[in-house]
Amino acid sequence: MIEFSAFQTEIWLIATALLIIGVGLFLPGQKKAMDWLALLGVLGALLTLPCSGSRCGAVVCAMPPEAFHGFLRVDGLAVFFKGLILLGTFLALVASFRYLDSQAVRHRSEFLAILLFSAAGATSLAGSQELITLYVSLETLTISSFLLAAFLKKDKASNEAGLKYLLLGAFSSALLLFGFSYLYGLTGTTVIAEMGKSLLAQPSSAIEVLAVILVVAGLAFKISLAPFHMWTPDVYEGAPLPVTAYLSVVSKIAGFAALARIFWVGLTAPALLPVWTGLFAVLAALSMILGNLEALPQTNLKRLMGYSSIAQAGYLVTGLLAGGTLGIGALLFYLAAYLFANLGVFLVAAVVSSKTGGERIVDYAGLWKREPFLAAVLTAGLFSLAGLPPFAGFAGKWFLFSAAVAKGYTWLALLGVLFSAVSLYYYLQIVRQALLAEPKDPSPIEAGLLEKCVLGFCLMAIVLFGFWPTPIAQWAQSAASSLF
Amino acid sequence: MISILTVSLVPLALGLFLFHSEALGPNALPLLSTYMALPLVAALASFWAPARLARWATLFFASAQLGLALKIFCLYQTALGGYQFTEQFPGLEGLGLHYALGVDGLSAPLLILVSAVYWAGVLASWDSPARPKEYFAFFSLMTAGAAGAFLSLDLFFFFLFYELDILPMFLLIGIWGSGRKQYAATKFALYLVGGSALILVGFLALHFASGINSFDIRVLGDLAQTGFSPAFQNFWFPVLGVGFGVLLALIPFHTWSPDAYASAPTAASMMNAGVLKTLGGYGLLRVALPALPDGAKHWLPLFAVLAVLNMLYASLVALRQKDIKYVVAYSSVAHCGYLVLGICTLEATGFSGAALQMVSQGLLTAFAFGLVGLIENRTGTRQWEQLGGLSALAPVLGGLFMLNTMANVGLPGFSSFVAEFMVFLGAFRSGFEGGFAILKILFPIAVTAIVIGAVYYLRLMQNVFFGPVRRPTEGPFVDLRSREILPLVLLLVLSLAIGLYPKPWADMVNSSLVPLIDHLGGFK
Repeated sequence: MIEFSAFQTEIWLIATALLIIGVGLFLPGQKKAMDWLALLGVLGALLTLPCSGSRCGAVVCAMPPEAFHGFLRVDGLAVFFKGLILLGTFLALVASFRYLDSQAVRHRSEFLAILLFSAAGATSLAGSQELITLYVSLETLTISSFLLAAFLKKDKASNEAGLKYLLLGAFSSALLLFGFSYLYGLTGTTVIAEMGKSLLAQPSSAIEVLAVILVVAGLAFKISLAPFHMWTPDVYEGAPLPVTAYLSVVSKIAGFAALARIFWVGLTAPALLPVWTGLFAVLAALSMILGNLEALPQTNLKRLMGYSSIAQAGYLVTGLLAGGTLGIGALLFYLAAYLFANLGVFLVAAVVSSKTGGERIVDYAGLWKREPFLAAVLTAGLFSLAGLPPFAGFAGKWFLFSAAVAKGYTWLALLGVLFSAVSLYYYLQIVRQALLAEPKDPSPIEAGLLEKCVLGFCLMAIVLFGFWPTPIAQWAQSAASSLF
Repeated sequence: MISILTVSLVPLALGLFLFHSEALGPNALPLLSTYMALPLVAALASFWAPARLARWATLFFASAQLGLALKIFCLYQTALGGYQFTEQFPGLEGLGLHYALGVDGLSAPLLILVSAVYWAGVLASWDSPARPKEYFAFFSLMTAGAAGAFLSLDLFFFFLFYELDILPMFLLIGIWGSGRKQYAATKFALYLVGGSALILVGFLALHFASGINSFDIRVLGDLAQTGFSPAFQNFWFPVLGVGFGVLLALIPFHTWSPDAYASAPTAASMMNAGVLKTLGGYGLLRVALPALPDGAKHWLPLFAVLAVLNMLYASLVALRQKDIKYVVAYSSVAHCGYLVLGICTLEATGFSGAALQMVSQGLLTAFAFGLVGLIENRTGTRQWEQLGGLSALAPVLGGLFMLNTMANVGLPGFSSFVAEFMVFLGAFRSGFEGGFAILKILFPIAVTAIVIGAVYYLRLMQNVFFGPVRRPTEGPFVDLRSREILPLVLLLVLSLAIGLYPKPWADMVNSSLVPLIDHLGGFK
């Protein structure tokens, strides 16, 4: 039996996207209408989540709604991931409006619609319990992202970003699919849970290990773990700013949704566990080291945030490695903290760059004199990313690293803490420009009412999660418990 | 002046008498949480109040907090000892976190230090700095962080409150500072975050190696429950020791501190050098020693060497400084050496000396930075070679600086004398009565460092305040106004109170340090 509530979020998003295309076709001048439609569509999708049976994920239902023979199931974890993805999409949309105006992008309806399609792919990925569904969702997400990255047709950097992303993305998808095909061949099923049982029952073989390595490599591309991170700085720098914001958060969250499900449900066989945990531990360490060190000399904000996001992926993987409700709960909490901090920073960047046209760090000089509120959100966001209290990133890192130490990854936690201290250096470069330097051009930067409200919301979340992490951490843990 | 006194005394009285009295019921408000939250309220109030009222709002809450600090100090029952007024709220059980506050003989005097420096700092920055709302809000936030760290009984909250200090201090130096302020602010933040990374890893290691799902300081300090192996202790003690050492400006991790103090605005230097640094010594006594006694015995001789190097090296560097604020900054680094040396004696008298030195050097460093701020305010320079004969122009300023010199040199009557005397006595006993043999050698070197300290302070006094009048600018020279004297008097009176009648203070710190010595088990 098909329960529509299992994919009503996606229906909402796709219906809104189609409606926006219709508006764009027949009423191309109605920019405001398209913007509000897109926002309402995402909000509507967000409101469907509590109705998905899991009651906001706080109480996990005995029988979460499922569809297509259980290929899609909205359990507590899926609800949490979908909530994050939709919030991220909402914030990226808000960041894009002014930017689209300032770049005089002509096909606004297409941009918004593709963004929503992409978000629909991400949300359905969060609920996928089966490899093909998961793969198709992932491709919906990434192919839309290629288009978004190359959306500024006249801009060389944007085209380069789109092409690079397409080539490497296709390559990694092929690796992933190759790995999936071996897994299917070994187990005869594509349902992740059954695959896990079947792998537990059979003796280990070299082909299993090869399959796991392929899947690890394929997904490491998607969440930009070193050494599969080469595309990230170029794509982040070249893509339009709101798209960079979207990629850095939503695509990463979706990648972790896939990782958590595939590895902790499908590949827990005792012969495989050390293979992928070992691989991920090395990749996480490399990401922390390379991401943080390469970020140090950067002068372009988007490129710097690209390297920063590589490092952040490294921290996040420690939660994945730790596993259990504690580890995955920490991962979820940190994703939430990362979402608000990163998108807060990008939203500020969108407002600033639509006024100044610059994306270098020095373009933020004296931001506090031009608009103190923007400077405050920027500072809070960057300090949260660096993991300083009283911001959310501190509590998040505490949970992540304590979960890692509890499972014996002390060296990884040590590395994470030390490189967090390193990361403060490059985050401080931006803060220093924004708060301490004198502006070259003292004219004020006006943020719109919607942007101010959303920025205020981000700031509140960053501070509140930091001071009082308990409720959201408990929610994250109960969501994580649907995996184990 | 009268309005300042009113705005100070009324809330002070409120904090002292009304609050927590029977009139409001036995437990109307949790005492310690209120104490910790008052600066937070002040930060919010000064942020939302009109700009010209920001300082008044901050002064109001600072005075109330001072009243509460005195109240806690008076109500603390030394005879009982242990943690009192404890407050505990359940937190994340799965992660072993809970919000718990408590005060013991070690932290009760430190609360007075925090509040006194806070109050004095507000008055020291009375002549509105630019953007007063943000200035006072950040200053209050810093105080809240320090107060929270001294009260926390849970490592998570200890760390959170401690780190809460870094961001406001960074902004205070970077925005309102002077000289190479951006450089100093960045260096400060990077050093302290680097140090706190070590502290964080050390805390997590304690938590997980103990096998008890708790971050409670009381539980982790109980060896019967934790049972850390000697190898574990030997590995992790230096990690925590260096982490807290960065905060204490222990050589070779001290280079952030003179730059930060010299560049920061006066009040921020007072708070940072007076209070924040003390937190490092407090962390050693509160967390590192109780949890890792074997590691401490193994490593403390090395830390004693560093402590004596601190005194000697920082004093020698201070001798060469041309900038008065750098002289005071290096002097404060040198004085932290006494504190660490006291801890390194692992002996009751030395410990009490270290605890008193925390309060004493906090009060006196804040006092000295306050005076330097006033000299700079009056003369427009901090280069002592450009100054001379100021006491002829401003006898009150000269008199106060004379007292400052006497206190820093460690003359009897001041808290520094008591504290340093006890530290030396402890070092002597430890060295010659079966403790760390290395103290036999270090002890005379440490005494020499005191003499160097006397040299640079006396030379400063002689050059700036005596001899023919010299100053870079002409024009009338106004002596200190009563509003400027007031905060200095408070710090001085507290220092004299400890110096002239140390018994209640020593008894109080001993009530928690004697059990600690028993716990550490003396020398093997």
